[in-house]
Amino acid sequence: MGKSKKLFRYDNAGILFVLPAFLYMLIFVGYPIIRNIILSFQDVNAGNLVKGTKNFVLFENYLELFRDAVFRTSLSNTLKYTILCLIFQFVVGFALALFFNKRFSFAKPVRGILLVPWMIPVTVTALMFKLLFATDIGVINYILRSLHLISKNIEWLTTPGTAMFALVCANIWIGIPFNMILISTGLTTIPKELYESASIDGANRVQTFWNITLPLLRPTIESVLILGFIYTFKVYDLVYVMTSGGPVNSTHMLSTYSYKLSFEMFKYSKGSAVANVLLAILLIVGVFYIKATTAGEEE
Amino acid sequence: MKRKKVIALLAAFAMLSGLLTGCGSSGETKEADQSAGEVSGEETSVAEAEESASAEGAEAVTIWYYWETEGHQVALDQVIQEYNASQNAYEVTAKYVPFADFKKQLSIGASADELPDIAILDSPDHASYVDMGIFEDITGKFDVSNYYEGTVNSCTVDGKLYGVPFGVNCLALYYNEDMLKDAGCSVPATWDELKETAKALTTDSVTGLALCSVQNEEGTFNFVPWLWSTGATSYDINNENGIRALTFIQDLINEGVMSKECINWTQGDVMNQFISGNVAMMENGPWQIPTMQAEAPNLNWKVTLIPKDAEYSSVLGGENYAVINGRNVDGALDFLTYATSEEKVKFMMEKFGYISADKTIAEKQFEADSPYQPFVEELNYAMPRGPLAEWPSVSDAISLAFNQVITGTATPEDAAAQAQETIDGIIK
Amino acid sequence: MDEEKKVTVRKNIIFCIVSVLILCILLFPLYWALITSLKTEQEIFRNPPTFYPHILNLKSYAAQVETGDFNMFRSFGNSFLISMGATVIAVLLAVPASYGIAKYRFRARKLMLLSFLVTQMLPVSVLLTPMFIMFKNMHVYNTWMAAVLADATIGIPFSVLILKNYFASIPKDMEEAAYLDGCNRFTAFIRILIPIAKPGVVVCAIFSFLYAWGDLAYGMTFILDQEKRPITAGIFNFMGQYGTKWSYLTAFAVVTIIPVALIFIFMQKYIVSGMTSGAVKG
Repeated sequence: MGKSKKLFRYDNAGILFVLPAFLYMLIFVGYPIIRNIILSFQDVNAGNLVKGTKNFVLFENYLELFRDAVFRTSLSNTLKYTILCLIFQFVVGFALALFFNKRFSFAKPVRGILLVPWMIPVTVTALMFKLLFATDIGVINYILRSLHLISKNIEWLTTPGTAMFALVCANIWIGIPFNMILISTGLTTIPKELYESASIDGANRVQTFWNITLPLLRPTIESVLILGFIYTFKVYDLVYVMTSGGPVNSTHMLSTYSYKLSFEMFKYSKGSAVANVLLAILLIVGVFYIKATTAGEEE
Repeated sequence: MKRKKVIALLAAFAMLSGLLTGCGSSGETKEADQSAGEVSGEETSVAEAEESASAEGAEAVTIWYYWETEGHQVALDQVIQEYNASQNAYEVTAKYVPFADFKKQLSIGASADELPDIAILDSPDHASYVDMGIFEDITGKFDVSNYYEGTVNSCTVDGKLYGVPFGVNCLALYYNEDMLKDAGCSVPATWDELKETAKALTTDSVTGLALCSVQNEEGTFNFVPWLWSTGATSYDINNENGIRALTFIQDLINEGVMSKECINWTQGDVMNQFISGNVAMMENGPWQIPTMQAEAPNLNWKVTLIPKDAEYSSVLGGENYAVINGRNVDGALDFLTYATSEEKVKFMMEKFGYISADKTIAEKQFEADSPYQPFVEELNYAMPRGPLAEWPSVSDAISLAFNQVITGTATPEDAAAQAQETIDGIIK
Repeated sequence: MDEEKKVTVRKNIIFCIVSVLILCILLFPLYWALITSLKTEQEIFRNPPTFYPHILNLKSYAAQVETGDFNMFRSFGNSFLISMGATVIAVLLAVPASYGIAKYRFRARKLMLLSFLVTQMLPVSVLLTPMFIMFKNMHVYNTWMAAVLADATIGIPFSVLILKNYFASIPKDMEEAAYLDGCNRFTAFIRILIPIAKPGVVVCAIFSFLYAWGDLAYGMTFILDQEKRPITAGIFNFMGQYGTKWSYLTAFAVVTIIPVALIFIFMQKYIVSGMTSGAVKG
């Protein structure tokens, strides 16, 4: 691939292509972001949501959060959960993408069917996993017992550590097809000629994978990982339905805790502050992503 | 119905084609957004026109409620239809908002000034919304002197009435008669007897007792009878009494007569376990009776008072009507006057499996041998949660403490101390 | 690597068996949902669990069609229209945007890229109230349009981030050849670039559709009339105050999957070829 010709042009006309989508997002999500930041610096609760003055309390809400044990648990849970899910679903998804990229009779239809977990609303998936992980009537305990891996039923959803494990399993199940499909389509952008010339040069599979597949797939991998990170980091439905943050707050995530504060306990400002912490962490990750993806670009 | 569907389809099609042509011709999307907005605007006006056409100039009154059971929806709808037919001034419509979304929808609606005229809400939340200032003061508009004191208290703030109780319920102990007979047990009346009975009833496939222990308001609802029975209050837990209540529940778990799974079981799930024969006794409310009778007609069960420690105790539940201020208050009051008449109350209570909040109606509502009758007796010992604007936070502390002892993540002493610290921070 | 070469007959058989095994493991939860929906509640609570329904129970499916205000077919229609609307908006806006980001360098480019990331970072809990206020002011509250507009905000940034890689991988020569043929920027984009990026566009459309299809929070919050709500709203009929009715709930899951699965099967040829054809022929 001769890289002498630039793949892009410096041209402000490009902005015209981007502007409609940008404005759309600005209108529908920009306002909520600003409103949320303001709200987090106020002291809005049930008493002054509609009437009365909303005092500015500056960082009071944030300071309160860092003294709040449930918030600290939620923060570390969210990080743990995201990283565990991301690693497993990416590795399995990638492996499956490579496997189904081979040309055998079932490759395309089976890959298509594997998208089915994505057609189920997350709330329903969460309930299904709740049933699978139930202590006495759950099939997972039954299978483990039949295989003599356990002698006594594991109380998956009622013990803090294992509840987290169950959540991670459910999320990976949803995440695998996501990663697989996006990486599969990413593979189609790699010109076949590269593999042909590599095999003429006598490169083995591992070499081709490291020298051709991975580098050329890098933009796709980066996008899949950042999107996976964002979606996993703000997980809500799955946790809310499977454990509601329990047992004893051990599986609360930033998003579920924010929801609980805002809509169950009427602490709107504190709920916003939690959401902003979530936003701030994602923003840092986002900036790194932009840095990493645009570093090699010719300006 | 058909016509509406066709209109809706056409509107959606127009919307989509608007989007497509808008973009295809110019590559700009501004226009597309606008045309889409216009079309859907038309759609709204079509819907509005239809609504007002059927009402013929009558003022609209909207109700939000959260009952997902078909029987409840049908009964409420019937009363509404009768009301609409009985007069020409108002046209009442009811909208279903799921229980899980109800508080959220009211909060958002309050922020956006998009609320119904009447809300039928869970009684412990009432005080919070009064604090929010969205409920109309209706003191003197309704005669609630015959209503159960606790239910009236749940919608009273600073001596002013902000709602009318819809129906009332409380928790009591259900037991499987056959299982008790087979184990040779008598009906337990004290905590010690309860524990012994539960032990005797527990087998490989049956656990003695179940009570909904999820960590939210529903769990708190099921915990407070045990707490209050010792003499502790919702706000004063870190003492001998509070710790005794927590210890008792922990013992039930440790001795295997109550399943830890209870922390994932809603009251409905507990009932399903009971009618499946997996549980011999359960704490639950009267609203389960119609479902139980329909789904397990051959099961022999009875209801008794919740066994006591120091004194009998139960918790008041149920919904209240509230009128939203600044909207169609006259229409709302007119409908409520109609719906709270003795005849309509009797009709709805029967269909719902509820007990009337009006004592005079409740006391002669059931036959002596009716399964509902023990609940009417239990009502004499039932107390409301709160009323307190910050109740959700107090409730959270209480349900957390019980969940901690059930999962064994804290000792009763530590759980009580931690809950007390949280509660003291709320009620300064 | 032999990804693009046909495999030998022996390997073909082995790979097919392996792929079926993978399918069985990954789709086991779905099988479990299906058989649970056909069991009676008593059998669901049986310990140990049964791997096929001993007594066939179809009551749960009958309950799906109509419960109270909820009508399944109407809800399907609603969900379909909402998802299609959101997909159309997402694709129409995201395709040019990703092309602009991939192929042009302009001043605010990085900022815009970052903003597409940021806009999907807020959890739903804090988006609901401000969006609600906006939709009310736009007079789309309690219409499908509200759900369409909200659901599109999930699909757009997703599609931009995925598609920009496709456009970036297309060599400049192809575009230049188009200019020589008399195309301008826009016609070159539409006639040459979009067809090449087709797999990406198809995948983005599918994901935008599925995001909207699975949405519950937006549909429930912005649409109050039961007859306009999406299919996901039906879940509340089977869980709540009266406990989770597992047979009904799993039947609900099966019923929600079927139409989408059917669309996929009928369009399989198009989707699969769309996803994998059109690769760059450098």
